[in-house]
Amino acid sequence: MAFQFEPSVVLETFPMLLRGLKYTVAITIGGLAVGFVLGAIAGLMKISRNGFFRNLAGIYIETIRGTPMLVQAMFLYYGVPMASGVRIPPLVAGIIVIAVNSGAYIAEIVRGAIQSINPGQMEAGRSIGLTRTQTMRYIIWPQAFRRMIPPLGNQFIISLKDTSLLMVIGVGELLRTGQEIVAVNFRAFEVYLAVGVVYLVMTLGIARALRALERHLRVVPGK
Amino acid sequence: MIRIENLHKSFGDLEVIKGIDLHVRPGEVVCIIGPSGSGKSTVLRCINRLEQPTSGRIIVDGHDVTDPKTNMNLVRAEATMVFQQFNLFPHMTVLHNVTLGPVKVRGMDSAQAEKLGLELLAKVGLAEKAHNYPEQLSGGQKQRVAIARALALQPKVILFDEPTSALDPELVGEVLEVMKQLAREGMTMVVVTHEMGFAKEVADRVIFIDGGRIQEEGAPETFFANPQNPRLRDFLGKVIAH
Ligand SMILES: Nc1ncnc2c1ncn2[C@@H]1O[C@H](COP(=O)(O)OP(=O)(O)OP(=O)(O)O)[C@@H](O)[C@H]1O
Ligand SMILES: [Mg+2]
Repeated sequence: MAFQFEPSVVLETFPMLLRGLKYTVAITIGGLAVGFVLGAIAGLMKISRNGFFRNLAGIYIETIRGTPMLVQAMFLYYGVPMASGVRIPPLVAGIIVIAVNSGAYIAEIVRGAIQSINPGQMEAGRSIGLTRTQTMRYIIWPQAFRRMIPPLGNQFIISLKDTSLLMVIGVGELLRTGQEIVAVNFRAFEVYLAVGVVYLVMTLGIARALRALERHLRVVPGK
Repeated sequence: MIRIENLHKSFGDLEVIKGIDLHVRPGEVVCIIGPSGSGKSTVLRCINRLEQPTSGRIIVDGHDVTDPKTNMNLVRAEATMVFQQFNLFPHMTVLHNVTLGPVKVRGMDSAQAEKLGLELLAKVGLAEKAHNYPEQLSGGQKQRVAIARALALQPKVILFDEPTSALDPELVGEVLEVMKQLAREGMTMVVVTHEMGFAKEVADRVIFIDGGRIQEEGAPETFFANPQNPRLRDFLGKVIAH
């Protein structure tokens, strides 16, 4: 039987994907929100004067960046319950995986952005009598945060796409939903095309929103 | 106001300051000159402990800066610093740059700090730039903002590290004018500078540092007219030839 492309199937697929899309969005946003906090803490620890904190952050970052996310997900969902005796619901496991994984990359983004700020800024803050923490908060962080936006946007997009890997632990996200539809109608071409389009629309949307945010945060408008 | 006793400072194996004694009295303007790499900045930065002295004692306004228990944040507000590279906070307006210290360090309420900030910006001739950002200013204007930021802390002494060295020649004058005015008003100042004209005119005392030691010091009249140390003679010869 010759392959016959059915555009109508693509269109019919979109509403059926909505259920999975909700999970994808929820895991991405939840995972990244926690991941940003983790990343900010680990990034600050990485540049702290305390060697213990530096090492701890280093181990976390290297371990996560040096292993595939798929392995991290399977280890957490299938492996950890064997040891702990407590099963984790797939959605929760998904959010944890995205958070811990993105946190390691975000830590490097945070560290890099802070270290890119001229050391004269810290000296100037200290010279007017601010504490190290105050200088970090009022002087360094606001400047560093602006520089984090492009790489954070990049990470946002990567994490969004990475949620598709969570289908292996049974999270009913977008790709998994697509797979379930294919199991019924056998229209793999049309269904996965539709799935791809949904990812693409979201990643393009994020990229645009971030460019707008960057423009908005520019210190002197139009410069 | 500042008393430095037998200050030594090494970076690793490199001994940069090899025993310096210096006493700055209230209201005095002390200019420090010397060749590049001689340790001028290091001395200044030890005074507010941006650098940790290796040994020796430094007393600033009665506080022992070399004592680890001293709360340096308060001392730094009393002996604040103006940098060669200005180091303004680029994400804040000019006025906010000036008011941050009074509000966060001195605990002033923001309305009062703004009033003070606008007064000080007027004093350095930049009242109309209050709501601009640093990147919209020329180098000379930036440095005048940095001076206003320092003054806003109502410090006992201001440490200047080559405040005009990063400026185009035509912008040096406006910054030196502001500093001269401060000197006339009795502000205690320690100024590392290559501006011999300024040192001659404004300093109560000039200090020549070379090789990590004070090689010569004196009132500007005798210091420049009749230098004793051969290295100073050599240095002045080179600077004036420029
Ligand atoms: N953080 C540092 N680590 C290592 N060496 C340093 C450090 N800071 C300064 N030095 C060295 O100490 C010496 C004195 O430096 P310093 O900046 O005090 O000189 P300076 O007299 O201010 O010179 P310039 O006129 O060029 O500003 C130089 O040899 C410099 O390389
Ligand atoms: Mg210097």
